[in-house]
Amino acid sequence: MDTQEKIALIEDTLDLDEGTLTPETVLAEIDEYDSMAKLSLIVMADDEFDITLTSDVIKGFVTVDDILKALD
Amino acid sequence: MFSSVQGIQVVGMSAAVSNTWDSLLDISDEDEKVLQKFIKKIGVKGRWSASQKQTTSDFCFAAAEALLNEKGIDRSEIGVLVFVTQTPDYGIPATGCVLQMRLGLPKNTIAFDVNLGCSGFTYGMEIASALLNISDCRYALLLAGDTSAREKSLRNIQKTSHSAALLFGDSGTATLLEKTGNEKLLFASATDGEGFRAIISPYGQWRNPDRPDTEPAGTRMNDVDVFNFATTEVPTQLKAYMEHEGATPESYDDLVLHQANLMILKQIAKKTGFPLEKVPISMDRFGNTSSSSIPITIVDKYGECEDNEEIRELCCGFGVGLSWSTVDLRLQTKDILPLIHTDEFFVDGYPAPEED
Repeated sequence: MDTQEKIALIEDTLDLDEGTLTPETVLAEIDEYDSMAKLSLIVMADDEFDITLTSDVIKGFVTVDDILKALD
Repeated sequence: MFSSVQGIQVVGMSAAVSNTWDSLLDISDEDEKVLQKFIKKIGVKGRWSASQKQTTSDFCFAAAEALLNEKGIDRSEIGVLVFVTQTPDYGIPATGCVLQMRLGLPKNTIAFDVNLGCSGFTYGMEIASALLNISDCRYALLLAGDTSAREKSLRNIQKTSHSAALLFGDSGTATLLEKTGNEKLLFASATDGEGFRAIISPYGQWRNPDRPDTEPAGTRMNDVDVFNFATTEVPTQLKAYMEHEGATPESYDDLVLHQANLMILKQIAKKTGFPLEKVPISMDRFGNTSSSSIPITIVDKYGECEDNEEIRELCCGFGVGLSWSTVDLRLQTKDILPLIHTDEFFVDGYPAPEED
Protein backbone atom coordinates (compact mmCIF):
# COMPACT_ATOMS: atom_id res chain seq x y z
CA MET A 1 0.00 0.00 0.00
CA ASP A 2 1.52 3.36 -1.00
CA THR A 3 1.52 6.51 1.10
CA GLN A 4 -1.48 8.06 -0.66
CA GLU A 5 -3.55 4.94 -0.10
CA LYS A 6 -2.59 4.88 3.56
CA ILE A 7 -3.51 8.55 3.94
CA ALA A 8 -6.88 7.84 2.30
CA LEU A 9 -7.39 5.02 4.77
CA ILE A 10 -6.57 7.30 7.72
CA GLU A 11 -8.97 9.94 6.37
CA ASP A 12 -11.70 7.34 6.08
CA THR A 13 -10.97 6.07 9.61
CA LEU A 14 -11.18 9.58 11.07
CA ASP A 15 -14.35 10.41 9.07
CA LEU A 16 -12.51 13.15 7.16
CA ASP A 17 -13.05 14.20 3.55
CA GLU A 18 -10.58 12.89 0.99
CA GLY A 19 -7.63 15.22 0.52
CA THR A 20 -7.86 16.70 4.02
CA LEU A 21 -4.59 15.24 5.28
CA THR A 22 -0.96 15.44 4.25
CA PRO A 23 1.99 13.75 6.02
CA GLU A 24 2.76 17.12 7.59
CA THR A 25 -0.71 17.67 9.08
CA VAL A 26 -0.48 18.18 12.84
CA LEU A 27 -2.98 15.90 14.59
CA ALA A 28 -3.65 18.31 17.46
CA GLU A 29 -5.10 20.73 14.91
CA ILE A 30 -7.76 18.26 13.73
CA ASP A 31 -11.01 18.44 15.70
CA GLU A 32 -11.90 14.88 14.72
CA TYR A 33 -8.71 13.45 16.26
CA ASP A 34 -10.27 12.53 19.62
CA SER A 35 -10.31 9.43 21.83
CA MET A 36 -12.82 7.67 19.56
CA ALA A 37 -10.61 8.40 16.55
CA LYS A 38 -7.70 6.76 18.34
CA LEU A 39 -9.76 3.62 18.94
CA SER A 40 -10.80 3.64 15.28
CA LEU A 41 -7.12 3.86 14.29
CA ILE A 42 -6.36 0.82 16.46
CA VAL A 43 -9.09 -1.18 14.71
CA MET A 44 -7.89 -0.08 11.28
CA ALA A 45 -4.22 -0.90 12.05
CA ASP A 46 -5.25 -4.31 13.36
CA ASP A 47 -7.62 -5.12 10.48
CA GLU A 48 -5.52 -3.81 7.60
CA PHE A 49 -1.93 -4.22 8.79
CA ASP A 50 -2.11 -6.72 11.67
CA ILE A 51 -0.34 -4.12 13.81
CA THR A 52 -1.23 -3.31 17.44
CA LEU A 53 -1.00 0.40 18.26
CA THR A 54 -0.23 0.66 21.97
CA SER A 55 -1.07 3.70 24.06
CA ASP A 56 2.63 4.68 24.14
CA VAL A 57 2.83 4.58 20.35
CA ILE A 58 -0.37 6.62 20.00
CA LYS A 59 0.83 9.17 22.55
CA GLY A 60 3.88 9.68 20.32
CA PHE A 61 1.77 10.67 17.29
CA VAL A 62 2.31 14.33 16.45
CA THR A 63 1.76 14.42 12.69
CA VAL A 64 0.06 12.16 10.14
CA ASP A 65 3.52 11.03 9.13
CA ASP A 66 3.98 9.46 12.59
CA ILE A 67 0.89 7.34 11.94
CA LEU A 68 2.19 6.38 8.51
CA LYS A 69 5.50 5.25 10.03
CA ALA A 70 3.70 3.15 12.63
CA LEU A 71 1.81 1.38 9.85
CA ASP A 72 5.00 0.39 7.98
CA MET B 1 -7.23 -21.26 34.70
CA PHE B 2 -9.94 -23.64 33.50
CA SER B 3 -12.37 -25.04 36.02
CA SER B 4 -15.67 -26.86 36.18
CA VAL B 5 -18.39 -27.38 38.75
CA GLN B 6 -20.61 -30.41 38.29
CA GLY B 7 -24.24 -30.72 39.29
CA ILE B 8 -25.02 -26.99 39.49
CA GLN B 9 -27.42 -25.28 37.11
CA VAL B 10 -28.65 -21.76 36.50
CA VAL B 11 -32.38 -21.94 37.27
CA GLY B 12 -33.31 -18.25 37.26
CA MET B 13 -32.16 -14.86 36.03
CA SER B 14 -33.59 -11.36 36.44
CA ALA B 15 -32.52 -7.74 36.09
CA ALA B 16 -33.81 -4.45 37.47
CA VAL B 17 -33.46 -0.83 36.38
CA SER B 18 -35.23 2.41 37.30
CA ASN B 19 -38.23 3.98 35.54
CA THR B 20 -36.08 6.84 34.21
CA TRP B 21 -34.49 6.44 30.80
CA ASP B 22 -32.19 9.27 29.75
CA SER B 23 -31.23 9.87 26.15
CA LEU B 24 -27.62 11.02 25.87
CA LEU B 25 -28.85 13.79 23.58
CA ASP B 26 -30.88 15.17 26.51
CA ILE B 27 -28.32 14.89 29.31
CA SER B 28 -25.09 15.89 27.61
CA ASP B 29 -23.98 19.38 26.70
CA GLU B 30 -21.41 17.91 24.31
CA ASP B 31 -21.42 19.15 20.71
CA GLU B 32 -24.18 17.24 18.89
CA LYS B 33 -21.92 16.11 16.06
CA VAL B 34 -19.45 14.59 18.52
CA LEU B 35 -22.32 13.03 20.44
CA GLN B 36 -23.75 11.44 17.30
CA LYS B 37 -20.32 10.00 16.56
CA PHE B 38 -20.18 8.62 20.09
CA ILE B 39 -23.63 7.04 19.71
CA LYS B 40 -22.66 5.45 16.39
CA LYS B 41 -19.17 4.23 17.29
CA ILE B 42 -19.38 3.49 21.01
CA GLY B 43 -22.96 2.30 20.68
CA VAL B 44 -24.79 3.92 23.62
CA LYS B 45 -27.93 5.98 22.90
CA GLY B 46 -29.06 6.31 26.50
CA ARG B 47 -29.34 4.55 29.82
CA TRP B 48 -31.57 3.90 32.80
CA SER B 49 -30.53 6.21 35.62
CA ALA B 50 -30.96 5.47 39.32
CA SER B 51 -33.01 7.89 41.36
CA GLN B 52 -31.22 10.07 43.89
CA LYS B 53 -31.37 7.53 46.73
CA GLN B 54 -31.27 4.26 44.80
CA THR B 55 -28.20 2.09 45.17
CA THR B 56 -27.01 -1.03 43.39
CA SER B 57 -28.28 -3.19 46.25
CA ASP B 58 -31.79 -1.76 45.75
CA PHE B 59 -31.79 -2.97 42.13
CA CYS B 60 -30.35 -6.36 43.08
CA PHE B 61 -32.90 -6.69 45.89
CA ALA B 62 -35.80 -5.99 43.50
CA ALA B 63 -34.40 -8.45 40.96
CA ALA B 64 -33.92 -11.17 43.60
CA GLU B 65 -37.33 -10.64 45.23
CA ALA B 66 -39.09 -10.99 41.89
CA LEU B 67 -37.05 -14.07 40.98
CA LEU B 68 -37.57 -15.89 44.29
CA ASN B 69 -41.30 -15.07 44.33
CA GLU B 70 -41.87 -16.00 40.69
CA LYS B 71 -40.14 -19.33 41.11
CA GLY B 72 -41.67 -20.01 44.52
CA ILE B 73 -38.29 -20.65 46.13
CA ASP B 74 -38.20 -21.73 49.77
CA ARG B 75 -35.72 -19.19 51.12
CA SER B 76 -34.63 -21.49 53.92
CA GLU B 77 -32.93 -23.59 51.21
CA ILE B 78 -30.63 -20.72 50.13
CA GLY B 79 -27.18 -20.84 51.71
CA VAL B 80 -24.94 -18.66 49.53
CA LEU B 81 -25.26 -14.97 48.64
CA VAL B 82 -22.50 -13.35 46.61
CA PHE B 83 -22.89 -9.62 45.92
CA VAL B 84 -20.58 -8.33 43.19
CA THR B 85 -20.28 -4.56 42.90
CA GLN B 86 -17.97 -1.57 42.86
CA THR B 87 -20.72 0.65 44.22
CA PRO B 88 -21.59 -0.87 47.62
CA ASP B 89 -23.87 0.87 50.10
CA TYR B 90 -21.19 1.45 52.73
CA GLY B 91 -17.44 1.40 53.35
CA ILE B 92 -18.26 -1.35 55.83
CA PRO B 93 -20.17 -3.62 56.40
CA ALA B 94 -20.35 -5.71 53.24
CA THR B 95 -23.65 -4.95 51.53
CA GLY B 96 -24.15 -8.72 51.07
CA CYS B 97 -24.90 -8.92 54.81
CA VAL B 98 -27.61 -6.25 54.49
CA LEU B 99 -29.07 -8.10 51.50
CA GLN B 100 -29.20 -11.35 53.50
CA MET B 101 -31.41 -9.52 56.00
CA ARG B 102 -33.55 -7.70 53.42
CA LEU B 103 -34.20 -10.88 51.44
CA GLY B 104 -35.06 -12.86 54.56
CA LEU B 105 -32.39 -15.48 53.98
CA PRO B 106 -31.41 -17.88 56.76
CA LYS B 107 -28.67 -16.98 59.22
CA ASN B 108 -26.90 -20.08 57.96
CA THR B 109 -26.03 -18.17 54.78
CA ILE B 110 -22.53 -17.28 53.65
CA ALA B 111 -22.90 -13.70 52.37
CA PHE B 112 -20.22 -11.25 51.28
CA ASP B 113 -19.17 -8.71 48.65
CA VAL B 114 -16.78 -9.08 45.73
CA ASN B 115 -15.07 -5.96 44.40
CA LEU B 116 -15.02 -6.53 40.66
CA GLY B 117 -16.56 -4.68 37.75
CA CYS B 118 -16.94 -5.80 34.18
CA SER B 119 -15.70 -9.33 34.88
CA GLY B 120 -17.93 -9.49 37.98
CA PHE B 121 -20.74 -11.65 36.69
CA THR B 122 -18.54 -14.40 35.31
CA TYR B 123 -16.24 -14.36 38.35
CA GLY B 124 -19.29 -14.32 40.61
CA MET B 125 -20.73 -17.35 38.83
CA GLU B 126 -17.57 -19.30 39.54
CA ILE B 127 -17.47 -18.24 43.19
CA ALA B 128 -21.18 -18.88 43.86
CA SER B 129 -21.28 -22.26 42.10
CA ALA B 130 -18.09 -23.46 43.80
CA LEU B 131 -19.43 -22.46 47.22
CA LEU B 132 -22.78 -24.08 46.51
CA ASN B 133 -20.99 -27.23 45.39
CA ILE B 134 -19.18 -27.64 48.74
CA SER B 135 -22.22 -26.69 50.83
CA ASP B 136 -25.14 -28.73 52.15
CA CYS B 137 -27.74 -26.29 50.80
CA ARG B 138 -29.80 -26.28 47.61
CA TYR B 139 -29.59 -22.74 46.21
CA ALA B 140 -27.09 -19.91 45.76
CA LEU B 141 -27.87 -16.33 44.76
CA LEU B 142 -25.48 -14.25 42.71
CA LEU B 143 -26.37 -10.58 42.86
CA ALA B 144 -24.34 -8.38 40.53
CA GLY B 145 -24.64 -4.77 39.51
CA ASP B 146 -23.38 -1.22 39.61
CA THR B 147 -24.68 2.32 39.61
CA SER B 148 -21.77 3.77 37.67
CA ALA B 149 -23.93 6.43 35.99
CA ARG B 150 -25.13 7.58 39.40
CA GLU B 151 -21.54 7.65 40.63
CA LYS B 152 -20.62 9.94 37.76
CA SER B 153 -23.55 12.30 38.28
CA LEU B 154 -22.98 12.47 42.04
CA ARG B 155 -19.43 13.54 41.32
CA ASN B 156 -20.64 16.26 38.96
CA ILE B 157 -18.73 15.09 35.94
CA GLN B 158 -21.72 13.90 33.98
CA LYS B 159 -21.96 16.61 31.37
CA THR B 160 -18.34 17.28 30.73
CA SER B 161 -17.36 15.07 27.84
CA HIS B 162 -18.21 12.18 25.60
CA SER B 163 -16.04 9.69 27.46
CA ALA B 164 -16.76 7.63 30.55
CA ALA B 165 -19.46 9.94 31.91
CA LEU B 166 -21.85 8.97 29.12
CA LEU B 167 -20.90 5.33 28.82
CA PHE B 168 -22.43 3.80 31.93
CA GLY B 169 -25.90 2.79 33.11
CA ASP B 170 -27.38 1.86 36.50
CA SER B 171 -28.82 -1.58 37.26
CA GLY B 172 -28.74 -4.74 39.34
CA THR B 173 -29.28 -8.41 38.55
CA ALA B 174 -30.01 -11.69 40.29
CA THR B 175 -29.00 -15.17 39.15
CA LEU B 176 -30.23 -18.27 40.98
CA LEU B 177 -28.13 -21.43 41.03
CA GLU B 178 -29.45 -24.82 42.10
CA LYS B 179 -27.73 -28.05 43.00
CA THR B 180 -29.39 -30.34 40.48
CA GLY B 181 -28.64 -32.63 37.55
CA ASN B 182 -25.29 -33.75 36.23
CA GLU B 183 -24.43 -30.92 33.86
CA LYS B 184 -21.22 -28.97 34.38
CA LEU B 185 -20.76 -25.24 34.61
CA LEU B 186 -17.44 -24.48 32.92
CA PHE B 187 -15.13 -21.53 33.50
CA ALA B 188 -11.93 -19.87 32.32
CA SER B 189 -10.51 -17.07 34.48
CA ALA B 190 -7.55 -14.71 34.25
CA THR B 191 -5.97 -11.65 35.86
CA ASP B 192 -3.28 -9.20 34.79
CA GLY B 193 -2.47 -6.90 37.70
CA GLU B 194 0.15 -5.18 35.53
CA GLY B 195 -2.83 -3.30 34.12
CA PHE B 196 -4.22 -2.13 37.47
CA ARG B 197 -3.86 1.53 36.47
CA ALA B 198 -5.90 1.13 33.27
CA ILE B 199 -9.19 1.59 35.14
CA ILE B 200 -8.71 3.02 38.61
CA SER B 201 -10.43 5.08 41.23
CA PRO B 202 -7.28 5.99 43.16
CA TYR B 203 -8.53 8.26 45.94
CA GLY B 204 -10.69 7.89 49.01
CA GLN B 205 -9.51 4.50 50.21
CA TRP B 206 -6.41 3.68 52.25
CA ARG B 207 -3.54 4.00 49.77
CA ASN B 208 -4.45 7.60 48.93
CA PRO B 209 -7.14 8.71 51.39
CA ASP B 210 -7.20 12.35 50.31
CA ARG B 211 -7.61 13.57 46.76
CA PRO B 212 -5.50 16.63 45.88
CA ASP B 213 -7.64 19.48 44.49
CA THR B 214 -5.69 19.29 41.26
CA GLU B 215 -6.79 15.70 40.62
CA PRO B 216 -10.14 14.77 39.05
CA ALA B 217 -12.69 12.89 41.16
CA GLY B 218 -13.96 9.42 40.45
CA THR B 219 -12.80 6.65 38.18
CA ARG B 220 -10.39 7.21 35.33
CA MET B 221 -9.80 4.96 32.37
CA ASN B 222 -7.04 4.62 29.78
CA ASP B 223 -9.26 3.98 26.76
CA VAL B 224 -6.48 2.75 24.51
CA ASP B 225 -4.99 0.29 27.00
CA VAL B 226 -8.42 -1.11 27.86
CA PHE B 227 -9.32 -1.39 24.19
CA ASN B 228 -6.11 -3.24 23.32
CA PHE B 229 -6.51 -5.54 26.33
CA ALA B 230 -10.12 -6.38 25.47
CA THR B 231 -9.47 -7.03 21.81
CA THR B 232 -6.45 -9.27 22.37
CA GLU B 233 -6.80 -11.12 25.70
CA VAL B 234 -10.54 -11.79 25.45
CA PRO B 235 -10.47 -13.49 22.01
CA THR B 236 -7.40 -15.44 23.13
CA GLN B 237 -9.22 -16.77 26.19
CA LEU B 238 -12.42 -17.54 24.31
CA LYS B 239 -10.59 -19.43 21.57
CA ALA B 240 -8.46 -21.34 24.09
CA TYR B 241 -11.57 -22.22 26.08
CA MET B 242 -13.50 -23.46 23.04
CA GLU B 243 -10.51 -25.53 21.95
CA HIS B 244 -10.23 -26.96 25.48
CA GLU B 245 -13.92 -27.92 25.41
CA GLY B 246 -14.01 -29.03 21.79
CA ALA B 247 -16.65 -26.36 21.13
CA THR B 248 -17.12 -23.98 18.19
CA PRO B 249 -19.28 -20.88 17.67
CA GLU B 250 -21.94 -23.27 16.28
CA SER B 251 -22.12 -24.93 19.72
CA TYR B 252 -23.73 -21.81 21.22
CA ASP B 253 -26.92 -19.83 20.87
CA ASP B 254 -25.10 -16.63 21.80
CA LEU B 255 -21.75 -15.13 22.65
CA VAL B 256 -22.78 -12.81 25.48
CA LEU B 257 -20.04 -10.26 25.96
CA HIS B 258 -19.66 -7.62 28.60
CA GLN B 259 -21.15 -4.54 26.96
CA ALA B 260 -17.96 -2.47 26.95
CA ASN B 261 -18.34 -0.59 23.70
CA LEU B 262 -19.55 -1.53 20.26
CA MET B 263 -16.13 -1.39 18.61
CA ILE B 264 -14.73 -3.85 21.15
CA LEU B 265 -17.68 -6.23 20.69
CA LYS B 266 -17.28 -6.24 16.92
CA GLN B 267 -13.54 -6.93 17.16
CA ILE B 268 -14.02 -9.80 19.61
CA ALA B 269 -16.77 -11.33 17.45
CA LYS B 270 -14.57 -11.14 14.38
CA LYS B 271 -11.53 -12.65 16.09
CA THR B 272 -13.48 -15.53 17.64
CA GLY B 273 -15.46 -16.42 14.52
CA PHE B 274 -18.88 -15.56 15.94
CA PRO B 275 -21.27 -13.92 13.47
CA LEU B 276 -22.60 -10.59 14.80
CA GLU B 277 -26.13 -12.06 14.85
CA LYS B 278 -24.93 -14.30 17.69
CA VAL B 279 -23.58 -11.38 19.74
CA PRO B 280 -26.61 -9.73 21.39
CA ILE B 281 -26.37 -6.01 22.17
CA SER B 282 -28.03 -4.30 25.12
CA MET B 283 -25.67 -1.37 25.59
CA ASP B 284 -27.45 0.78 23.01
CA ARG B 285 -30.31 1.23 25.51
CA PHE B 286 -28.68 0.28 28.82
CA GLY B 287 -25.16 1.67 28.45
CA ASN B 288 -22.20 -0.19 29.88
CA THR B 289 -23.77 -1.79 32.95
CA SER B 290 -20.55 -3.17 34.47
CA SER B 291 -21.13 -6.50 36.26
CA SER B 292 -24.83 -6.46 35.27
CA SER B 293 -24.12 -6.40 31.57
CA ILE B 294 -24.19 -10.14 30.81
CA PRO B 295 -27.41 -11.03 32.68
CA ILE B 296 -29.07 -7.82 31.43
CA THR B 297 -28.22 -8.76 27.86
CA ILE B 298 -29.71 -12.25 28.38
CA VAL B 299 -32.83 -10.77 30.06
CA ASP B 300 -33.13 -8.23 27.25
CA LYS B 301 -33.05 -10.97 24.61
CA TYR B 302 -35.05 -13.74 26.29
CA GLY B 303 -37.02 -12.17 29.16
CA GLU B 304 -40.20 -11.81 27.10
CA CYS B 305 -39.94 -15.27 25.44
CA GLU B 306 -43.24 -17.11 25.46
CA ASP B 307 -42.01 -20.53 24.35
CA ASN B 308 -39.53 -22.34 26.53
CA GLU B 309 -36.25 -23.51 25.04
CA GLU B 310 -32.87 -24.47 26.43
CA ILE B 311 -30.14 -22.07 25.40
CA ARG B 312 -26.38 -22.45 25.66
CA GLU B 313 -24.57 -19.18 26.28
CA LEU B 314 -20.87 -18.48 26.13
CA CYS B 315 -20.43 -15.45 28.41
CA CYS B 316 -17.29 -13.38 28.84
CA GLY B 317 -16.73 -10.47 31.21
CA PHE B 318 -13.59 -8.33 31.04
CA GLY B 319 -12.30 -5.07 32.46
CA VAL B 320 -11.08 -3.42 35.65
CA GLY B 321 -8.32 -5.39 37.36
CA LEU B 322 -7.43 -6.13 34.72
CA SER B 323 -9.44 -9.30 34.95
CA TRP B 324 -11.44 -11.40 32.53
CA SER B 325 -13.34 -14.63 32.68
CA THR B 326 -15.63 -16.88 30.71
CA VAL B 327 -18.55 -19.04 31.77
CA ASP B 328 -20.25 -21.61 29.56
CA LEU B 329 -23.81 -22.10 30.80
CA ARG B 330 -27.18 -23.52 29.80
CA LEU B 331 -30.53 -22.25 30.95
CA GLN B 332 -34.22 -22.48 30.15
CA THR B 333 -35.74 -19.33 28.71
CA LYS B 334 -38.79 -19.82 30.98
CA ASP B 335 -36.46 -19.12 33.92
CA ILE B 336 -35.52 -15.68 32.59
CA LEU B 337 -37.81 -12.94 33.93
CA PRO B 338 -38.84 -9.86 31.94
CA LEU B 339 -36.97 -6.66 32.85
CA ILE B 340 -38.06 -5.19 36.19
CA HIS B 341 -38.51 -1.45 36.79
CA THR B 342 -38.32 0.00 40.29
CA ASP B 343 -37.71 3.34 41.99
CA GLU B 344 -37.77 1.89 45.50
CA PHE B 345 -34.85 2.25 47.86
CA PHE B 346 -33.94 0.96 51.29
CA VAL B 347 -34.42 3.31 54.22
CA ASP B 348 -31.63 2.14 56.49
CA GLY B 349 -32.42 4.43 59.43
CA TYR B 350 -28.83 5.64 59.63
CA PRO B 351 -27.80 7.91 61.21
CA ALA B 352 -30.02 6.86 64.07
CA PRO B 353 -32.37 9.66 65.14
CA GLU B 354 -31.34 11.36 68.36
CA GLU B 355 -33.23 10.24 71.38
CA ASP B 356 -35.30 12.78 73.26
